[in-house]
Amino acid sequence: MTAAPRWRKVLRDVWLHKARTLLVVLAVATGLVGAAAVLDTWALVRVATRSEYLASNPASAALRTDSIDAALLARVRAVPGVRDAEARRTVTGRLRARGGWQPAVLFAADDFSDMRIGALRPDSAAWPPPDGAIAVEHSSLPLVEVAPGDSVAVVIGTGEPVGLPVSGTVRDVGLAPGWMEHVVYGFVTRTTLARLGAPSSLDELRIVVRDPAADREAVRAIAWRVRATVEGTGRRVTDVDVPVPGRHIHAAQMDSLLYTQGAFGALALLLSGFLVLNLIAAMLAGQVREIGVMKVLGARRGQLAGMYLGLALGLGLVAAALALPVAAVIGHRYAAFQADLLNFDTAGYAIPLPVIALELLAALVLPAVAAALPVVRGCRISPGEALRDLGIAGSRPPAGRVLAGVSGVARPLLLSLRNAFRRRQRMTLTLLALATGGAVYLGALNLREAVRRSVAALFAPQRFDLTLRLDRPHPADSIEAAMARIPGVAGVEAWSVGRAAVSHADGTLGNTFVITGPPPGSRLLAQPVVGGRWLRPGDRNALVVNEGLLADEPGLRVGGPVTLVIGGRATEWTVVGAAAGTPSPAAYAPREALAGLTAGGLVDLAVVDAASDGASAQLDLIQELRSGLERDGLAVRSTQRLAETRRVLEDHLLMVAEFLGVMAWVMIVVGGLGLASTMGLATLERTREIGVLRAIGARHRAILAVVQAEGLVIALLSWAVAVPLSVPMSVVLGRAFGRVMLPVPVVWMPDGAAMLWWLGVVVTVSVIACAWPAFCAMRVPAAAALAYE
Amino acid sequence: MTQPLQTPARPLIALRDVTKTYPTAAGSFTALAGVTLSIEPGEFVLVVGASGSGKSTLLGLLSGIDRPTRGEVLVGGTAVHALPERALSPWRGKTVGVVFQFFQLLPTLTAAENVMLPMDFCGMWPGRERRARALALLDRLGVADQADKLPVTLSGGQQQRVAVARALANAPAVLLADEPTGNLDSHTSVAMLELIAGLARDGQTVVMATHERGAARFASRTVTLAVGRVAGPEGAA
Repeated sequence: MTAAPRWRKVLRDVWLHKARTLLVVLAVATGLVGAAAVLDTWALVRVATRSEYLASNPASAALRTDSIDAALLARVRAVPGVRDAEARRTVTGRLRARGGWQPAVLFAADDFSDMRIGALRPDSAAWPPPDGAIAVEHSSLPLVEVAPGDSVAVVIGTGEPVGLPVSGTVRDVGLAPGWMEHVVYGFVTRTTLARLGAPSSLDELRIVVRDPAADREAVRAIAWRVRATVEGTGRRVTDVDVPVPGRHIHAAQMDSLLYTQGAFGALALLLSGFLVLNLIAAMLAGQVREIGVMKVLGARRGQLAGMYLGLALGLGLVAAALALPVAAVIGHRYAAFQADLLNFDTAGYAIPLPVIALELLAALVLPAVAAALPVVRGCRISPGEALRDLGIAGSRPPAGRVLAGVSGVARPLLLSLRNAFRRRQRMTLTLLALATGGAVYLGALNLREAVRRSVAALFAPQRFDLTLRLDRPHPADSIEAAMARIPGVAGVEAWSVGRAAVSHADGTLGNTFVITGPPPGSRLLAQPVVGGRWLRPGDRNALVVNEGLLADEPGLRVGGPVTLVIGGRATEWTVVGAAAGTPSPAAYAPREALAGLTAGGLVDLAVVDAASDGASAQLDLIQELRSGLERDGLAVRSTQRLAETRRVLEDHLLMVAEFLGVMAWVMIVVGGLGLASTMGLATLERTREIGVLRAIGARHRAILAVVQAEGLVIALLSWAVAVPLSVPMSVVLGRAFGRVMLPVPVVWMPDGAAMLWWLGVVVTVSVIACAWPAFCAMRVPAAAALAYE
Repeated sequence: MTQPLQTPARPLIALRDVTKTYPTAAGSFTALAGVTLSIEPGEFVLVVGASGSGKSTLLGLLSGIDRPTRGEVLVGGTAVHALPERALSPWRGKTVGVVFQFFQLLPTLTAAENVMLPMDFCGMWPGRERRARALALLDRLGVADQADKLPVTLSGGQQQRVAVARALANAPAVLLADEPTGNLDSHTSVAMLELIAGLARDGQTVVMATHERGAARFASRTVTLAVGRVAGPEGAA
């Protein structure tokens, strides 16, 4: 069966304008790739995290207490609302494989093969690890690059390195990835832990509540009952952590990131819709007379609209056929990357069919919706008007009137300027596509700068280079005196650090947070105060809270009292100030007051201001400090370079900014294709005009210049629009980033280099986009051009 | 072959006090002023007059391409002036065949496809019969051998024959031809006039606007327009 003549007309019109149609299809496909890839990623990550994370039966709450035994576990399991309870031990240390030493976190349990809470998924059959061996967590492998059978050395505290064979690898979906945290996670038996010289009693109680739909408050209430039960046995509970039920710790950030990226993907798709609008509008403008003839032949408005909307649907279908497989590939890769950030594996998961159906629907509907306006407008024309149509030589546009008065500009350039304004709607849409891409790009650069400034501001109060945690607490004076003797130390302070929770009036506790106790008049910590005052010498139970804690505990106010539970003891404090800083809740208290509660007046943390800034000099200093302090009987458990901590944080945050920048490139591709399409249309419509130029002596170079200059006018205008548009875009991106990751100061204006760089990009895009239309214009023979109708 | 679909009304075409004015930059321009005219079924009426006399406007009103500013236009008993826009196209496609001076064939369709297009739009004849009907019409007009060629490859005369075939595709009650020979050489023009006259002899009602001096001998009646008014119908040929 052959197609009806009207559909053959549609197909042949498409073939007649195949280059232009192809550009539009590519633009829609590009926009679709951007949007669909993000949607595919989101769907895959969601499916994988939901099924894997929930399948691991994550802990509803975790409590830190003293040695947990079977009898305690049985009592906890009998607490109303508790479905299951298990125990494990977490020990920090250092691990060395082929490279240098890495910080390590070792987990030990009674029976790994029967772990029901936060179940582990072994990569190999060698599971659980036998006594004297270690299983390495999957996400730590990039740090240590070990395989089953290799050997690693492990040090706990001041103990001697102990060689452990790697029995296999295992995945724990509840952990933040080791490669990201720069920590090697390992799983060992309690016997192995004892062999390493570490305490092997179990100290982390993990529970799962009976009601799977219980919200965080309900879980918290059950956790308090468990705490009471544990404390009823004479044990001390130092920490109660209740995560958001059913949500991976990073899931909200990833969701927000994907929503933001998805919004820009949708924007790119929308911009590609403008190009469909341009194409269909141009096609209709060129076929006004044909529309009139078809109406005379009996075509109803609906039939004509159906033809052009059918064309738009066809374009969408072809774009979908091109884009969706590409989006699926990108989506799978991006999902694998995102899932890796969350320590999940998306392999084996398929993009859900409803998601593919949604993408297909968007691919079909968007071009049709974009085409609807010009189609309705074009098909509404009466046959009389259509048959009298005179083409584009209508009234002179306002810009044309202005340009008519311009003098001192070369005629060909003036012609280009006028040409650019002849199809104002088309020019506006093309300009908008390019300008939006530019605004997002400049906005992403601003965000990058804002992140850098924010990280700098975050670390500025920390005027030290190294952090050393000692194996056990010592008097602050002796630590400071011992360290000050070591060459290369410009300054040193011993700090007290602990964990605290706000005790509410109803007897419940808030989430635990880190409380830091610097010495009075600390030179190495200068946290900016946003309300009240900083700690002063002579302060006793004075407390400075950060903005994160104020957000978590809305009942806190500067000048007010607060009861904190530190080391299991409730103590009264007065909030004397509020400090800026990380969004993570934190507080600051006088060293002596805090140390009195945490370690009998002793401290185990020291911060060092190194005399030298270089990484290698600081690493040398760490070695000097380790050996020097050990000679003085102060064993070092772990060390950390602040620069490294800062780099890791900056890398995490900038990665998000980079992802947003990728969307800007999707938009510039769409915008470039739009410009090529616009210039193709403009050249085609002015074939006769080009013929006249040729007939009056215009050379190839002049024709080329007219077309290229017209494209450049649009590109430069888009740049001029993109720069101011990047200001609100920066605000939007900055705020979105602030909600997702870390509040950042909004950088409003892009710097000069960024603006120049973008200018270079749009000029290059313009030259490339106009190359083919300009070439086509050059090749039009004067006679054929003059005969063109 | 071209059987009118509707029962002939008497008169088939009636214009009653029809006026058509166009707004222009220089003020309104009256193309037709109080025209009253009746055309019987089977007549071949020639509309003549100087440029700007209102010939094309008259044909535009008869086909519903334009609407009168005042007055009534009845074709086959249908009040064309009162038809809503959505009803005009299907009515026109089935009732009126239009031939233009500049042929107006769709350039991306072959001759046969151009002829099939009105059948497609109006749902006339089963789909599988449309090509056969188009070929028969092209054969009748002497261009069957051009059926699968694109218009751009045909001569002016051939294109106009295809246009006439297309106008007859839905067996309309009335064939309206607006200067059908205006873009043809004299030899081809005569052939075209003979062809249209042949259609009229077969019972097709034809209204043709023309400048062609010798056309009157083919027509049954000539209506002369001058400055938008009927200057006087001339006797039957």
